[in-house]
Amino acid sequence: MNDWLFVAPLLILGLGSILMMLVDAFAKEKSELAILSSITMGVAGMISASALLSGAEAADAPEMVTRFLAVDPAALFFDVVICFGGALSALLAGGYLREHGLERGEFYVLLTLTTLGAVVLGRSTDMLSLFVGLETMSLGVYAMVAFRRGSSTAIEGAVKYFLLGSFAAAILLFGSALMYAATGSTSFTGIAAAMGDADPKLVLIGLLLIIAGFGFKVSAVPFHMWTPDAYEGAITPATAFMSVAVKSAAFAVFVRILFVTFGDELSMSLASGWPPVLAGLAALTMVYGNIAAVGQENVKRMLAYSSIAHAGYILVGIVAAFRVGSEAVSAVLFYLLAYTFSNILAFGSLILLGSRGREAVSFNDLRGVGRRHPMAALPFILGTLSLMGFPPTAGFLAKYYVFSAAVQAGGSMILLAILGMLTSAIGAFYYLRVTVFMFMRDPEPGQVKAIPMKSGYVVGALAISSLFVLGLGVMPGDVLEAASRAASLLLG
Amino acid sequence: MFAIYLPVLLLIIVATLVAVGMFTGTSVAGPKNPTPEKMLPYESGSNTTGASHLRQSVKFYLTAILFVVFDIEAVFLYPWSSLFRDLGWFGFVEMLAFLVILGTTLLYAWKKGALEWET
Repeated sequence: MNDWLFVAPLLILGLGSILMMLVDAFAKEKSELAILSSITMGVAGMISASALLSGAEAADAPEMVTRFLAVDPAALFFDVVICFGGALSALLAGGYLREHGLERGEFYVLLTLTTLGAVVLGRSTDMLSLFVGLETMSLGVYAMVAFRRGSSTAIEGAVKYFLLGSFAAAILLFGSALMYAATGSTSFTGIAAAMGDADPKLVLIGLLLIIAGFGFKVSAVPFHMWTPDAYEGAITPATAFMSVAVKSAAFAVFVRILFVTFGDELSMSLASGWPPVLAGLAALTMVYGNIAAVGQENVKRMLAYSSIAHAGYILVGIVAAFRVGSEAVSAVLFYLLAYTFSNILAFGSLILLGSRGREAVSFNDLRGVGRRHPMAALPFILGTLSLMGFPPTAGFLAKYYVFSAAVQAGGSMILLAILGMLTSAIGAFYYLRVTVFMFMRDPEPGQVKAIPMKSGYVVGALAISSLFVLGLGVMPGDVLEAASRAASLLLG
Repeated sequence: MFAIYLPVLLLIIVATLVAVGMFTGTSVAGPKNPTPEKMLPYESGSNTTGASHLRQSVKFYLTAILFVVFDIEAVFLYPWSSLFRDLGWFGFVEMLAFLVILGTTLLYAWKKGALEWET
């Protein structure tokens, strides 16, 4: 019975999405698919959360599952991050799609199936299950980006994302093929075991290709080109989902592959392995993401660049882990959880501030909206404070743990931490600029004023995220403990 | 380690040389007597009318993609049936689950009107 607990989230997501397809096809009147999909993902996430917090051991999970999918605490932790991100996005979509006349049932089916793909990707322990999960997730996201099919920006974003995403998948596949050629195995542990006899040149090229493939998925500079267009073109709930769940799943498997497969001395050294490459990526990503976000006139594009910048901070944590070990990995886990709730807050309140076919997307749309509707602007301020890393929010602790892990790692990692803090200061500028427009600028004469929508779904999602952002910031104890247990078991 | 691939490389080089040589040979040495009819894209056919970039109905695309989906999925049945004895009841139940999911998607496509030509 106990071992079923560890695969239950996958089964629930799979069966739930098939059920939703049938409901969508056969229901006579408008069905409540938003709440159904949100509950499906929420339950899946809560099962993983309870298994994680109760400290249950997957003593004898069937070998058929464990060969391809991990059942360790790290897998459960990422389940929680991904499923909660999905559930909150479904709630946001429930308000958004109805308000803008886009209510079509397939969005929720796609969202749930994509979450299933993301969970499989986050749990994968084999190149084969990794690729199946990656494609299940990616194909769903491409369709969600193109959901507003009459809009040219949506199609532009979707095509760019699709082409670059397929290209990245091919690069990743080529990297894993080279690893198979070098070691004769596709499983993460199998590759690691055979690493000693493998041709180091093949391993290095395979490693670099795999890093490049994941670089696309987590939108690290210089693989970020698709991000602003896809984020801007997608409907806002899909953007929120991409920026939290898809990114977390990619980071989940990235961390696992780096420390399980490429955890040997040679691959983890400063001279000949992945730490210097990732450090370079992290520095580029933090600097470019933050600087490019400053000049944006569209809030969704600004948040896209901010999500690029956050990928950079997370990469700092991963790089630091090559010396500090599980402490840095647990900081990365905590960061992803905090980032999920903060970003849902930012995108969710952007959704809340638009109504009846008119979305609030540019800085000018937001002029004065904070003074007219202070309650609707409040979640955005909380979200951006957390993204900035301001106490007592979750984002502050997340940044603190990641950067202090980097300082502990010493050497050139300290420089990375300093760079991270400096670029965070740039971040404060563009996040606060939104608040300035909301409260200190009057609408231009003749401009249509933004009116917040009335939606229980969106308000509910915002309330839940606010609770978590503040709760994780004030008493992170249990979650931190779970994260550090997950990290230490992952690094073994 | 790459020496065993040398014949393949030679084959590629020889094939390229033969093909390029034949085309260059005919275009240099062959007689040329162009007439307007010969210069048409299709020598024996009616002249094209209208623009070449026609808008096709999206229905063709939908039918094609449904065909690809169900055709490719049905291909899984072949390796399964050849291994049926070895897999036993486990394989039977696995394939049953797969077919149920496939059937559900067919039901979905049907109910959504994807199989209707006239809409």
